[in-house]
Amino acid sequence: MLVCASPPPLPALTGLRDDKLTLLSSSPGLGGTPGETVRHCSAPEDPIFRFSSLHSYPFPGTIKSRDMSWKRHHLIPETFGVKRRRKRGPVESDPLRGEPGSARAAVSELMQLFPRGLFEDALPPIVLRSQVYSLVPDRTVADRQLKELQEQGEIRIVQLGFDLDAHGIIFTEDYRTRVLKACDGRPYAGAVQKFLASVLPACGDLSFQQDQMTQTFGFRDSEITHLVNAGVLTVRDAGSWWLAVPGAGRFIKYFVKGRQAVLSMVRKAKYRELLLSELLGRRAPVVVRLGLTYHVHDLIGAQLVDCISTTSGTLLRLPET
Amino acid sequence: MLGFLSARQTGLEDPLRLRRAESTRRVLGLELNKDRDVERIHGGGINTLDIEPVEGRYMLSGGSDGVIVLYDLENSSRQSYYTCKAVCSIGRDHPDVHRYSVETVQWYPHDTGMFTSSSFDKTLKVWDTNTLQTADVFNFEETVYSHHMSPVSTKHCLVAVGTRGPKVQLCDLKSGSCSHILQGHRQEILAVSWSPRYDYILATASADSRVKLWDVRRASGCLITLDQHNGKKSQAVESANTAHNGKVNGLCFTSDGLHLLTVGTDNRMRLWNSSNGENTLVNYGKVCNNSKKGLKFTVSCGCSSEFVFVPYGSTIAVYTVYSGEQITMLKGHYKTVDCCVFQSNFQIFSYHQWSRWFFIFSENICTNYLMHFFK
Repeated sequence: MLVCASPPPLPALTGLRDDKLTLLSSSPGLGGTPGETVRHCSAPEDPIFRFSSLHSYPFPGTIKSRDMSWKRHHLIPETFGVKRRRKRGPVESDPLRGEPGSARAAVSELMQLFPRGLFEDALPPIVLRSQVYSLVPDRTVADRQLKELQEQGEIRIVQLGFDLDAHGIIFTEDYRTRVLKACDGRPYAGAVQKFLASVLPACGDLSFQQDQMTQTFGFRDSEITHLVNAGVLTVRDAGSWWLAVPGAGRFIKYFVKGRQAVLSMVRKAKYRELLLSELLGRRAPVVVRLGLTYHVHDLIGAQLVDCISTTSGTLLRLPET
Repeated sequence: MLGFLSARQTGLEDPLRLRRAESTRRVLGLELNKDRDVERIHGGGINTLDIEPVEGRYMLSGGSDGVIVLYDLENSSRQSYYTCKAVCSIGRDHPDVHRYSVETVQWYPHDTGMFTSSSFDKTLKVWDTNTLQTADVFNFEETVYSHHMSPVSTKHCLVAVGTRGPKVQLCDLKSGSCSHILQGHRQEILAVSWSPRYDYILATASADSRVKLWDVRRASGCLITLDQHNGKKSQAVESANTAHNGKVNGLCFTSDGLHLLTVGTDNRMRLWNSSNGENTLVNYGKVCNNSKKGLKFTVSCGCSSEFVFVPYGSTIAVYTVYSGEQITMLKGHYKTVDCCVFQSNFQIFSYHQWSRWFFIFSENICTNYLMHFFK
């Protein structure tokens, strides 16, 4: 029974041994040796990646090495308490954008990708939860951080109708301004303003129930109907509603079509796999209105493609199942 | 390791620490074992496996042809290459054999004199191991998907049965009849499991995407319906809470009973706090699940960080329970894996050697550690 040989060279692992990849910002000093700039192999100079702090490694979230068992053998000494001390240099963290590697920073970065002009500024920038997973390596940590942000009231999580699992993330401020602008001058404006003022800050959930709305917040049935007409609430079940974004139908349509189109680009490739750099270098089909990078983040985070690191860069491959 | 041993010897450290460290190391080193095999009796696929909790020596398997086989897992020959023999089997020629596929088998938790089996032929049969006769038969109106008897309870002998109908039935072995019906689900019940911590707490999972926790002594309905979004709790709302976005296929309590793992056909596995029903939001990623019936998965016990073994296509995916990271995929099967069981057994050797049985995934140093699965 052979024990695995030395681990394959993974990009972005200078100095780190048996840890999962973390989002590495451009600050030197993060990693094993302070003062050394971190080198990565997948196209750091690629003009397609416009993130200032992510230029080093775009998709740290889900990288598998070819052979998983090397990681187990590296976990074994840890169970006996042998810990390796890692030296960390000073890490710059922007309090507004959150520490590099956190969900907050990921959300801010991804918001830059959203094409505001496409919707004439009527929609707030929406980011998907799966896209955050592609940037934050540990999903549990990402979920918990998003939950904290939701509880603090900074973001709202919204159920996008096409898939029960797909959650959209929107900054609360953006949501509020866009909704107010959308309902300006309409008959339901009053109900919507009351909703935004009283319910949004109080309840951070995705959904609202009948008794909550009528008793706790004092909404009448006619006002709830106004809210549904305005697009702020969508029916979930008898007596419960999801929070929704007015006008999001167009976004969902473009998103679903674009996702299928990008997946089919990978599917049609030989051996059903494509290098990431090649995929992003191709001309986007007409159906893809939201941008290739936006969709690629989502596909990787939703595990609709497997992300494998190779010596020529990241490879996207359709899973066998 | 040697440091641990000397610390244990001098009394500086608790003996439990060495045991947990060693068992974790062994789980991390699991590989396909080429030296151990299990005799093939079943003609078709195997749906369920159970290892008796008393000694960890005997294993029951139930197949899709209705046959039940009992294996002895102990290696009493001194050779390293060993095939585990079947001690006896309830084959197609037995007068009381199940007519259709056996879905669940379970040993009586307190000794190996008895075991129960439930099948698609709408019966739950209680067997006497020594004579291989049915001691009792419970008949139901619908096909039985799953049953479970409480592993810790000394106060009751209830077997919870999940069938194609929406009612969970509790059968009492002492009196021989169904004593309770638990109402609340709307579609078929795919998995049931008693808590290993409390005698009366039962968890049931159904195709209507809901998981309910019950206290069987209460007459008025379930305790909690698990909500994946952790919304505000209120009585009127229970109907809208879903644990998964598809059918909930499998349930497993952790060995201390404090947490509950559920898998669903939405390809997700979730970890819940079993005392208040809260979703701990641990994210395991995509756990492929296409099973139309229950999926039987298992959790390790006795390691420093527990691991969950989930059948994933033709492999077994191993995750750490509390952090959600995927450790590895155990490859070895040619077709879909339906069930897997983890067993850790003490043998009276000097260093707490373990045997875990199943299709031969073992540690590469010592051939005594195995993990077997059957398709």
